[in-house]
Parts: sequence; C-alpha cells; structure tokens
Amino acid sequence: MLVKLAFEERGADHLLIMREEHGNVAPAMISKGESADGVRLDIPYQLVTILENIYPWLSKGKIAIITRRCDEKALAELVKRKYVDEKRIVKIGLACSEEQIKKCRCNDPVPSNVAVGEPHEGMKDDELALALSKMSHEDRFNFWVDQYKKCNKCFGCTLNCPVCFCDDDCVLEDRTFVAEPNVPPGLSFHMIRSFHMIDKCIECGECERACPAEIPLLTMRKLLAKDMKEVLGFSPGDEMTVSPLNTSLEGEQLEDECDEC
Amino acid sequence: MPRIGVFICHCGNNIASTVGIEKLVEFAKALPSVVVAEHNLYSCSEEGLSSIRKSAEENKLDRIVVAACTPRTHEPLFRKTCEMAGINKYLFEFVSIREHCSWIHIKDGDAATDKAKKLVAMGVAKAALLEPQRETESNVTPTAVVIGGGLTGLTAAASLVAQGINTHLIEREGTLGGILKDIDIIGPEFKKTKELSDQLIKELKDSSKAHIHMNSKVTSSSGFIGNFELTVESKDKSEKIPAGAIILATGARELVPAGEYGCGSVPGVMTQLEFEKLLAKGEVPKRAVFIQCVGSRQSGREYCSRVCCNTSLKNALRIITALPDASVSIIHRDIMSYGTTSEHIYREASEKGVRFLRYSLERPATITRKQNGLVVKVFDETIDENINIDTDVVVLATPMVPREDSRDVGRLLKVPVDKYGFFLEAHVKLRPVEFSTDGVFICGSARWPSSLSECISQGMAAAAKASIPIRKGKVVVEAITSWADPDKCAACGSCVTSCPYEAIEIAEEEGKRCAKVNETLCKGCGACVAACPNDAMQQRGFTTRQLGAMIDALVKNALGET
Amino acid sequence: MTNFNPTILAFCCNWCSYAGADLAGVSRLQMPPNVHVIRVMCSASVKPEYVLKAISQGVDGVLVLGCHIGDCHYMTGNHRTAKRMPLVQKVLKEVGIDERRLRLDWVSASEGEKFQNVVIEFVDEVTKLGPNPMRGVKF
Repeated sequence: MLVKLAFEERGADHLLIMREEHGNVAPAMISKGESADGVRLDIPYQLVTILENIYPWLSKGKIAIITRRCDEKALAELVKRKYVDEKRIVKIGLACSEEQIKKCRCNDPVPSNVAVGEPHEGMKDDELALALSKMSHEDRFNFWVDQYKKCNKCFGCTLNCPVCFCDDDCVLEDRTFVAEPNVPPGLSFHMIRSFHMIDKCIECGECERACPAEIPLLTMRKLLAKDMKEVLGFSPGDEMTVSPLNTSLEGEQLEDECDEC
Repeated sequence: MPRIGVFICHCGNNIASTVGIEKLVEFAKALPSVVVAEHNLYSCSEEGLSSIRKSAEENKLDRIVVAACTPRTHEPLFRKTCEMAGINKYLFEFVSIREHCSWIHIKDGDAATDKAKKLVAMGVAKAALLEPQRETESNVTPTAVVIGGGLTGLTAAASLVAQGINTHLIEREGTLGGILKDIDIIGPEFKKTKELSDQLIKELKDSSKAHIHMNSKVTSSSGFIGNFELTVESKDKSEKIPAGAIILATGARELVPAGEYGCGSVPGVMTQLEFEKLLAKGEVPKRAVFIQCVGSRQSGREYCSRVCCNTSLKNALRIITALPDASVSIIHRDIMSYGTTSEHIYREASEKGVRFLRYSLERPATITRKQNGLVVKVFDETIDENINIDTDVVVLATPMVPREDSRDVGRLLKVPVDKYGFFLEAHVKLRPVEFSTDGVFICGSARWPSSLSECISQGMAAAAKASIPIRKGKVVVEAITSWADPDKCAACGSCVTSCPYEAIEIAEEEGKRCAKVNETLCKGCGACVAACPNDAMQQRGFTTRQLGAMIDALVKNALGET
Repeated sequence: MTNFNPTILAFCCNWCSYAGADLAGVSRLQMPPNVHVIRVMCSASVKPEYVLKAISQGVDGVLVLGCHIGDCHYMTGNHRTAKRMPLVQKVLKEVGIDERRLRLDWVSASEGEKFQNVVIEFVDEVTKLGPNPMRGVKF
C-alpha cells in the first residue's frame, strides 16, 4: 500500500523507509520495482539525515520519504538552505502513535497531511524540563555536569541530527573551541552545540535516542526552543523564515518562489 | 616557529609610574615564541623606533608586539616601522597598557602590572598566529563634497577648487554665508562681514570646478573613502553625487533661551544675534547691559562657548565708539578674551568706560521693567553688594549649540557626536579635522564653538586633508576582509544573511557550493565570522584561532590552567 | 567570598566601545583591574563560541560592548549582536550558569564615563556572583 502510494500515485522513483532484515531494523532505500518487504513504520529514525547524506548521489528522480511532523520541519530547514530541491521530494506523512509521542515528549506530532497512522494530540510538557526550570542555578548546574561527564564524544548526536549539516568539519572536534583533548569534553562542547541548535533544532529527539550515555539531550533542546520562541519569537521548521540570529532588527523574509499561487 | 619581539613602552612616566616595566619585560621574555623583550622610554620617538628596527634585524624577528598607548592612534606608525625592518606590516600586534591599564589603575601598581602581563601574553598569543597580508587598492573619485555653505564650508570649498579639485557645495538655505548673514561687523578688526563672505563666494562662482547646490540636503550616503555616493535632494530634483572625500561644515546655532531672563516676552531683552541686527540698522542704545554665560557653564551644558565674550566686547566697543557717553555694562562669570588682540580689546573697552561686573551662577541677575526701560538687578561678587543697573537693552550672550539635526547627519554619514551633539573628531591633537571614518572630515563650529578665524583655519585644514586621497588617486583597502574556507564551508547561507553590505554570496565552483566574499564590498566587520557554525568563515587579522589563543592566554595567566 | 577577584574578558569594537575605553583612559577614570579587552572591528564579529569557550574554561564574566543601535560603524552589525547575546545568556542559564556572567552593553566613542560605570558595575556584580562554578569542576 505504501509502495503503491509512493511509486504509482505520487510518482516517486525511490522511497526511504525503515526496513527489517534478518531481525535488524535499519534505514533503507527502495527503488521503483523493488520489493518492499519488512517495512517498519513503528521504529523512529531521522530519515531526513539519511536523505541529506545520499542526496548528492541521487542526481535524478523523485525521492519519497516517510515524514513525521519533525521530519517535515527538518526538511524545511534543508530546503531553506538549498540543500535539497523541494520539487524532488515526496512527503509521505506519518502520524506518530501515542506511545511514540510520549517517548519524544512531542508537542507537535501531526504532519501537514497524514498518509499513514492515526493523528493524536501532542504533549504539553517535558517533565524533566519542568523540573529543571524550577531548580536553582546551582542544582541545575550540578545536574548537567553529572550528565555531561558521561559524554564520550561518540558524535552520535551530531551525526544523526538532520539539521547538523557541518559533517566532517564540526567545530566541536577542534581544540580552538573545545579545549579538552580527551573525554569527556568540557562544557563548551555541549554549550556550543546548544547554541548552534537553537535556531535549527526541530526536536525530533534523534540525538537523545543515539546517545549511548543516555544524556537527556532532547530535554535541553526543548528548554532552549522555548527560550528562542520567547526571546526572538522564532521556531525552526518553517521554510519561509530565515533565522533571526543573522538578520538585522527589521528581520528578513525569504522570497516566495512558489509559482502556484 | 615564529620569532616574536616584544617592546614595552614607558611612555615617559605615563606607563612606567604605575606598571613595573622590568617585571613586565622579564615576564614577556618567558612567553612562548618570544625571542627578545625590550623596553623604550618613548617607543614612538625616532630613538624608540630605530631601536625596534635594530632589534628586529639583530634578532631576526618576524613578528613585533608593542605594548604602549593605543592602536587607534599609533598602529600605523609601528606598522610602518615593521615594513622598514622588512617585516610585513600585518605581522604586528599592539597591546594597550596605557589607556587600558596604567592610566585607569593609578593607585594599584601591583594589580596594573599583573594585568599588563596578561594583556601582553594575550597579544603575544595572537601575534604568533598572525599571517602576512597583501593590501588591495581601489581608485578614488576625484571629487569632494562640502556639506554646509557658511564661512567654514566656503573656505574649505574655495581651498579645494584653488587646487583644481572638482567640488560640490551643498547648502540648505537659499543663500550662502551661514551665521555670517546675521552678523554685520566682525572683530577684532571691525571689518564688514560681507567683505569676507563675498570674496569667498566670488572665488567659487568664478571657478569651473565649483558646483553649488542651494536649498539642498544630503539624504543618503553610502560607500567608503574614495568611493562615496551621496544623494542630494532639493525641492524639485534628486541627484546622486559620487565623491572621494566629504567635508562636514554644518556649523552650529545660537541658543535661544526659552523664557529665561524674559527673552522673547520682555521687550529690550534679546540674544546677541538679535542685537547685531539692531546695530546693523544703526539703532545704537544709550544704555546696554550684556549678560554673559546665559545657558552655558552650568549643569547640562558645562562648556564655555569661547566666542561670546569677544562678541560682547566687540559690540560694547561699537556702542561706546558711536556714543561715548553711553552706559554699557558687561556682567560676567569670567571674561574669556584670550590671545593678543582680544585682551587688547578688553583693556580698551574698560578704558573707554565699559563697566565689568562679576556675578555667580548661584545668584543670577533678574530683569524687571521700569517706566522708561529695564532694570537689571545683580549681586556683584567682587564688592559683595546688590547692584541695580538701568538700561534700555539687555543682551543675553548665549552659547553656540549644535544644530538640532546634528545627530541625524551623524547617522547619515556614520560619524559620532559627543554628548552635546557636536561632532567628535578622530583625535583632538593628532587628527583634529578628521573623523575616525576615513575620508570624512570635520571643521568649524559643527565640531566645537569656533571663532571666525578658527573656522577659516579649520576649513583650510580640512580641505588640505581631504585633498590627500584625491591627489593620490588611490586608496589602500586594509587587509581585514573575510574569506570562506571552501574545504569547511557547508554553504548554509548564514554568512550571506549576516552581512550588512550584502558582500557574500553562495557560488558554485567545480560542482561544489561555497560562500564567496566580494573583497571590494567587504568592509571587514566580521559579522559573517560570528554567523558561521563550522568555522569556515575567517577574518584576516582576527581569525578564530587568533582570538581563541588570546582567550587561552588569559585563562592560563589568570587562572593558571588551560 | 572575601578575596575573590574575578577574571573578566571584554570584547570591544574598534569604532565605539574601544574608543570609549580609550577615552576613559585619557580622562584617567579609575576602575578595578579585572577587565581584559580584546579588540574586534565590530561587536557583530564576537562569536558566541568565544563567550561559551571562555566561560567553560573558567573566566568569571564576559562583557560584549558595541556601538549603540543605529550608530554601528557597519550599519546594522550590532543588530546581530543584540539578538545573539541574549540567547547565549539562555544557553548559560539552562545549563545552570548564572546568565549575568555575560553582559551586553552599548558604549559610544564619547562615553568614557559610561565605560567606567559599566566596568565598575560588572566587576561588582560578578564579584557578588562568586567564582565561575566551572572552576571547581574537572571534566
């Protein structure tokens, strides 16, 4: 049914999904005509990150991709920077299950059109975020130092993140900004990542899922997303609005290049 | 391995009396990459500079660090010294241990010395990572624009056209002359003002190089030295004028005191310029009182306007020369009649019967109406008594204040104003008629209340300075522009958005998209560097490695850790 | 915290705040010796990474001083600074470091006294905040 939708109805040439093979679930790309056995829509993963990585090698054809709401927003951030051509992407909207929404503490779980799954309401709060906001600076500091001390610089958070686009040249690898040569890296690693994410992060939670040390990275992302909304009235995930961090006080809108309306 | 020479300046006593020079030299010697550390009494003197050159040669230095006053005045001098020693001028770093250290921590020599050590360590850390740079040149538009057609502007424009330089004079009003139009006779020679302005206007009108725009205003300004573009608007047209240099000569205005002393409501009470008009008509009062320092040298306007005392003396003498029996008094809080001619006039006025009376700010004069005139009641500080003076006319000598739109003009040309609204020169002694912004010059009362002879000198000085880039024909663009490392650049466009000059674009080269900086548009602000998430964008002379090293040096020397 | 002497890093822009600092010096306005200035051309070039690096390595306070809005030598350079720095403060706050350790202010070339006041106030504030909590932490 998914295959029919992607290849016949929507005219795609390739489809990015999560597939189970030999008991393991991993991202896969199915091309038109290939078998689509073992598709797993219940395993969350940032397929947009995969798309971003293989896009330079897919010079022709349309690519269908399962998009949850967070994936849609991630795509918008990529389109904004001209990393992918919107016209070549077919979004197959997936509404997340209640279970998944709880795991991600997601407050915005329904994509703009739903092809698969039943839409459910989002959650209002991340409980840990709430608890942290009520703590004193000192307690909060001790909490995060304890968490960040577990970090072993696997870069799982950055590599799996769809909007972390610096790839091989991440400043976090550089002694200039992160002075500690060994593991764990110091606080600057995490604070710089936090600042870089503040106008890009679409709260997909992939970083937290990827972290082998189980650091509550998504919670920190959510806290700063709230701050960004409060201070500059901006939330990432919108194709038409340039990050206000780099514009003058009057702001700047991207030109509307859509020919249809 | 870089070979750095550190040169600590005593600046006479200015640095040496607070900062421990020897300790600082010992400290500098031990810093990484430092080959030699020396000290000089005055590094900027011929002796100091040649000792630096000699040391550079002897020690085969390839980078120089000078710890002295401020780079804002002395960087060009030391850069030149580097060049003369065969070192690229961008391999020079300036550390301020005077303005930023010895002068502000006078009572704590130990702390100042400690801080100076850290500052020098930071400077050395940066110097080790400096790279030689090549400067690019850009052509200069051979045209000057003078904004303001008063005495100062006219003088500047006349000097420029005399040199054969194409000059545009922009004047707001319908006639030229500025404040001269309101003054009939000028001191100390007691000449007719018209003689002065007519001569200058004739010189301009006779020259094919002068273009006068009346009833016109500058509404926009862009560009940089050698390549400005101004938009000049008058009632029925708008013109774009390219220029190589701009001279600001917009002057000042007389403060009209709001209701003070009954000015505006009590007949007979008037400002100095209003009084000039009376005298010009031949209406010489039999009795006159001049009140000095009305609205100046007090809270909110602490300065002395410099010209009001001489003006009052001039006018007092005019009255008493026309009517030897006239009763003329000048009540003052000090008489500012400096110099040879002015002091002479003060003496002459006194000898001819002008009365001088000292009053204080705490006990100002009051003016009341009487049947046949006015009475000025004032407490004479010298004899400690209240005095009543009958008079026909009270002249309020008020200060010159900036024009209401001076801040707007400042914003237009991107030049600073001080707290009063007068324009701020680059340096009061070293660069008195220039702004920090290259290519824009300041002269006359727009900068500071000036006498007519001072306005003339300043107008000529500004014209002389403005002619330099025009004559040279080329300007060297400082090598502090930015560039993107194509290996790192992810073409995210953050830099493009952050550039105030739209000098960056994402270009495709050999199939790879990368940010590209247009060097002629880049002004070297570095906004793009801060926007770039992966350190691809760098600014020459301010790279992230260099500034990161400065922070590391501070941490190491202040906190003992890395 | 009786003998705590904070180490403070300041970024000053060449056209306004650095000139203001120079004027403070020329006017012999006295201030505590805790502030170390790094000269940049525009406050817009102050990378948030520098601030976060400095704080992470134990610097007690960071001052970013630029031209007043509307007076930036590079037109709208300081607009970017105005928007970035409050968010750097939020990053500090969320990780438990007092956001008052970063201060953004505007000092013009003629404001020697303002520079002095900002320095005195900031040194005082950071002294009261105590040493950077990172100083007690070994990663």
